[in-house]
Amino acid sequence: MLRHCSKLAHFIHRLIERGASKIWRQQTLPRFTTIIVFAATLALWWLASRLGWVSAFLLPGPGTVAETIAELIASGELLRHTLVSLRRVALGYLFAITFAVPLALLFVLSLRLRSLFEPLLEFLRQIPPLALMPLLMLWLGIGETQKVGIIILSCFFPIFLGVRGGFDSVDRKLIDVGTVCGFSRPEIMLRIVLPSALPAIVVGLRIGLGYSWRALVGAELIASSAGLGYMIVDAENLARTDIVLAGILVIGVLGLTADHLLRLAIRRSAPWLSGDLEMARA
Amino acid sequence: MLELSGIGRRYRVGAEEVTALADIDLSFPAGSFTTLVGRSGCGKTTLLRILAGLEKPSEGEIRRGGGKLRTAVVFQEARLMPWLDVSANVGFGLRGRVPRPVAAERCAAAIELVGLSAFAGAMPAQLSGGMAQRVAIARALVQEPDLLLLDEPFAALDAFTRRTMQNELVAIWQRRRPTIVFVTHDVEEAVLLGERALEMQGGRMVGREAIALPYPRDPTDPDVNLHRRAILSRLMTTPTPAAA
Repeated sequence: MLRHCSKLAHFIHRLIERGASKIWRQQTLPRFTTIIVFAATLALWWLASRLGWVSAFLLPGPGTVAETIAELIASGELLRHTLVSLRRVALGYLFAITFAVPLALLFVLSLRLRSLFEPLLEFLRQIPPLALMPLLMLWLGIGETQKVGIIILSCFFPIFLGVRGGFDSVDRKLIDVGTVCGFSRPEIMLRIVLPSALPAIVVGLRIGLGYSWRALVGAELIASSAGLGYMIVDAENLARTDIVLAGILVIGVLGLTADHLLRLAIRRSAPWLSGDLEMARA
Repeated sequence: MLELSGIGRRYRVGAEEVTALADIDLSFPAGSFTTLVGRSGCGKTTLLRILAGLEKPSEGEIRRGGGKLRTAVVFQEARLMPWLDVSANVGFGLRGRVPRPVAAERCAAAIELVGLSAFAGAMPAQLSGGMAQRVAIARALVQEPDLLLLDEPFAALDAFTRRTMQNELVAIWQRRRPTIVFVTHDVEEAVLLGERALEMQGGRMVGREAIALPYPRDPTDPDVNLHRRAILSRLMTTPTPAAA
């Protein structure tokens, strides 16, 4: 087996060395391996249910889950829950950006403000948003505000830290270049500081987006009547693991799509950030 | 004319105060080519940063005759903007100051001068250290400065490119006559380029050598060697002044 693997590796290496195109190496090969990994996981899942390694009740097969998804789509239920969840994630994410970016900028501009409030923010950062859920329910009720609030809390800190870290880590040597060119302070800010800070900001935005999807189920766990999180919890109560898996798959696909769209937008508008984007996979 | 009188620069390092420059009295006539030579850490870069306006002296005065000088600096490292391609990096200081067609023309000429026409659209991450430094040189030249400050700009280049760039710098100086202050720790380079070489040690000026040789200068020329030996012997025998 090992010998075959090394032969295959040698063959691929020779193929690349012999001038297989750059596009093949940089784009097609990773895409190809991604498809293989997804297909292998699916095959393993299918085998596990087909050969009875795991009870069909605990882990329904991919065919059953696909049928359930088709039924949910046909009844319009999946679309309804998905739209509710998408709205909550979008609102929570946008509000988090609205709060985090100006606050981070204030911290960058005012050292006094930073030294005063940073310890408090650091304290709050350690608290999982779900631990605040009872308080949020008392303060904000059990409506949309509380659910969006959980998502805001989840993605606020990655965005805040990304923006603050981005501005903190601007290379002073690049600012020297602007100073020598005779740039004014606003010019230095716009033409050097902001583009320099962008990689860390983008990493923060991407991690924040991921966190918002992770917080969704938690936010929709209690006192909810719609949303993918609700759909999953409701299905669990009815012992419908096929619907649970369908919900999980849809959240995964939506999260992945949102992440890809964000990466695509960044690649299009700022191609030099492509490398930094990978840091946000953490 | 650029004149420095009694320039000193002190830094606080922990509880101690360290003197980086002391008692610097110098004048740089308009259109002159001066090289500053000395060991690493002798204060050359600090003096250059003060001339560039990036640092304020702790004491002393700088007088700039003839109003505000258009200044360009080539730093030890290329300091390119990673988000801009070569062409945009070269024209970085021109945007908004020079009409676009003029800027584009000047950028193309400067990029050609440093031999990077084929890489005009490349990003800094795609360049080698030497190529990036050539872009930094083009970025300074494209501004057509009155005062051109260079801090060991050719240290990262290979010997052949360095020689070409040295000759090009001299040719540009002869053609446009900016005032050039060139920092180097390479005594041969100081002799090949400058009309005079100022020797620094321990934050002070310890000697000066007038070099009245015709350009282009040949490193194997016995006269170049004579100047080189004179500078070296002074720098090797002068005890480091107690600047601190």
